[in-house]
Amino acid sequence: MEKRLIKKDALAGIAKKMAEEFLVWAPIKKEDNVLFEPLQKDGEPFFAYLNSKNAPKNVFFPHTEALMKFTRTEKGMVFSSDENKADSSVLFGVRPCDAHSFALLDKLFDQEKYQDAYYITKRQNTTVISIACVKPPYASCFCTSVDGAPVASEGADILLTDIGSDYLVELVTPKGEKLAKYFGDAKADAAADTKKNEIAAKAIEAIKSKIPAHEVKPILDKNFDNPFWNTIHGKCLACGTCTYMCPTCHCFDISDEVKGGDGVRIRSWDSCMFPMFTKETSGHNPRVSQKERWRQRTMHKFKYYVDNFNAIACVGCGRCVMSCPVNIDIRKVVEDISKL
Amino acid sequence: MQNPYIPYPVVVDKIITEVDTKDIKTFRFKFVNPEDEAKYAYIPGQFGELSIYGKGESPIGIASSPTQKGYVEFTVQKAGVVTQALHEMEEGTLMGLRGPLGNSWPLEFLEGKNIVIVGGGFAFTTLRSLINYMIFGDNRKRFGNITVIYGARNPGLLLYKDELIEWQKRSDLNINVTVDKGDATWTGREGFVPAVCKDVAPSKENAVAVICGPPVMIRFTLPVFFDLGFSKENIITSLEMRMKCGIGKCGRCNVGSKYVCKDGPVFSLAELDKLTPEY
Ligand SMILES: Cc1cc2nc3c(=O)[nH]c(=O)nc-3n(C[C@H](O)[C@H](O)[C@H](O)COP(=O)(O)OP(=O)(O)OC[C@H]3O[C@@H](n4cnc5c(N)ncnc54)[C@H](O)[C@@H]3O)c2cc1C
Ligand code: SF4
Ligand code: SF4
Ligand code: FES
Repeated sequence: MEKRLIKKDALAGIAKKMAEEFLVWAPIKKEDNVLFEPLQKDGEPFFAYLNSKNAPKNVFFPHTEALMKFTRTEKGMVFSSDENKADSSVLFGVRPCDAHSFALLDKLFDQEKYQDAYYITKRQNTTVISIACVKPPYASCFCTSVDGAPVASEGADILLTDIGSDYLVELVTPKGEKLAKYFGDAKADAAADTKKNEIAAKAIEAIKSKIPAHEVKPILDKNFDNPFWNTIHGKCLACGTCTYMCPTCHCFDISDEVKGGDGVRIRSWDSCMFPMFTKETSGHNPRVSQKERWRQRTMHKFKYYVDNFNAIACVGCGRCVMSCPVNIDIRKVVEDISKL
Repeated sequence: MQNPYIPYPVVVDKIITEVDTKDIKTFRFKFVNPEDEAKYAYIPGQFGELSIYGKGESPIGIASSPTQKGYVEFTVQKAGVVTQALHEMEEGTLMGLRGPLGNSWPLEFLEGKNIVIVGGGFAFTTLRSLINYMIFGDNRKRFGNITVIYGARNPGLLLYKDELIEWQKRSDLNINVTVDKGDATWTGREGFVPAVCKDVAPSKENAVAVICGPPVMIRFTLPVFFDLGFSKENIITSLEMRMKCGIGKCGRCNVGSKYVCKDGPVFSLAELDKLTPEY
């Protein structure tokens, strides 16, 4: 693997330089929040951030996106264009947990049968650059419980690790190597590797929040009807914040919009926490209350995804924990399940 | 990479009003690009997404059999936005069709066996596809006895009336059509589907029952087949869940780890027992 060293203050300059050639998504400070947004000409990336408020899944799976357009003819509405397109872009500076989420979403959207053209096109046209968490940003981070680590490159094409004076730049994939020219020509030596490994080990140590995520799978296999499921949802407002914030949640709706003679079919995020999500035209709803919806969300992440893709659909970012207006904590849910 | 969200363009070639209440119609579609018909190669039991630009999409079981060339048929009940718009369409209108989607009736498993088909109400559509497939030409030899038990609330609500008459004429089919309540002209059977199943009492020997209908019908029919000695492996049904993508992505239609759109809609009772009872 190709490895380089760059000066720590060089990052913003590199991002801006890339932005002359590509669409660069970078962390941008917006009032109290940091969000991944396209870096504008006079914009300034904000790399001294903890993590972005929203998950960067938006880059590959936008909150709302056009799938196709259609137009009115004498014989009815007909297809007019496929809106599947993506600019060549760089997603600059995501945390390792969020990069991990891309690897998880790939399993679903890029299956052998039924490839999701919209997701895949954006993913193929985007190079992901991660910045390792040398110091885990939040007390609620639990990536190490769900097959992640604060210094890890899964899902990323390039990994940047702050090793003191410099960033160690690891060009992990061929896609990452294609951007080598932006990272100068200072080759990293063995000492830089050693330093990185020390830092990585320390960062793992620093993650104190732990959940028995793997232990609960066999318990979930057997406890669909356990009365325990009555105990989580009492406070839940069905607001859907947890699923909107989550980097691995991928449920969506498809709907049509018409203006005059033309229209567009769009997809937008949806949530299994919404009562209407599974409601059929007849009025029948297989998930009648918030109890069934919370069970679905938990089961999907810690059992169904494991059954289907052999991976837990949570990266331990803690966003749902921090954002839930009534403080329902998925870590506690998993902890409680492990004791059933 | 083929984009699975883009429908094939189709034209509404023929509309048949199936029932007296006029809220169930069969729509026959032809592909605008003839080469798309081959791409839409389907197996009985699969479904399609009927796509009306500006209104949306609805998953509907394929009612024709792949042995019927040149078109695809769907029988649709008027329900909400999309199905209503469909019912208002005229022959010659252009729209879209996605698919074929889902698994299918397990044809290989059914081969060489005696087949018992039980249908109620308008859920008879993909069973009709299966029957027409099994009785087409040489296909008939690949299956044993075929017994059909089909019921509707009253004679006016029976689907495919002309076909039922044709089927009844065949000596290699045992057709039992029943209505909950007959009318002045009805000379056939009266009675609920479960009772008729009990009466016909198909043998379990080398037999598979394929059952589709409203939940109440299923609830009372299953015990009859258990009493007749049918195992859960040999009772097959088709599920419905609310759907959008139809290809296992939107996360809407799962029952446990299985997506009804992609892994279903057809399951044996034995397979359903392994899933969560959430449908
Ligand atoms: C595998 C399968 C096969 C089906 N086969 C038939 C058939 O042969 N004939 C028939 O008349 N109906 C069939 N249905 C039911 C049919 O899909 C719904 O009645 C229809 O989608 C209602 O859509 P709407 O737009 O008219 O109603 P709206 O209430 O306006 O529906 C909005 C959207 O919700 C979804 N939706 C609502 N109810 C259902 C439902 N029960 N199942 C799936 N999606 C739903 C659809 O995406 C629909 O476009 C089938 C459903 C499934 C899942
Ligand atoms: S479930 Fe919560 S902690 Fe896990 S990835 Fe989603 S938002 Fe992050
Ligand atoms: S964020 Fe909290 S209140 Fe909102 S749906 Fe999720 S669990 Fe319920
Ligand atoms: S309809 Fe989208 S997952 Fe089944």
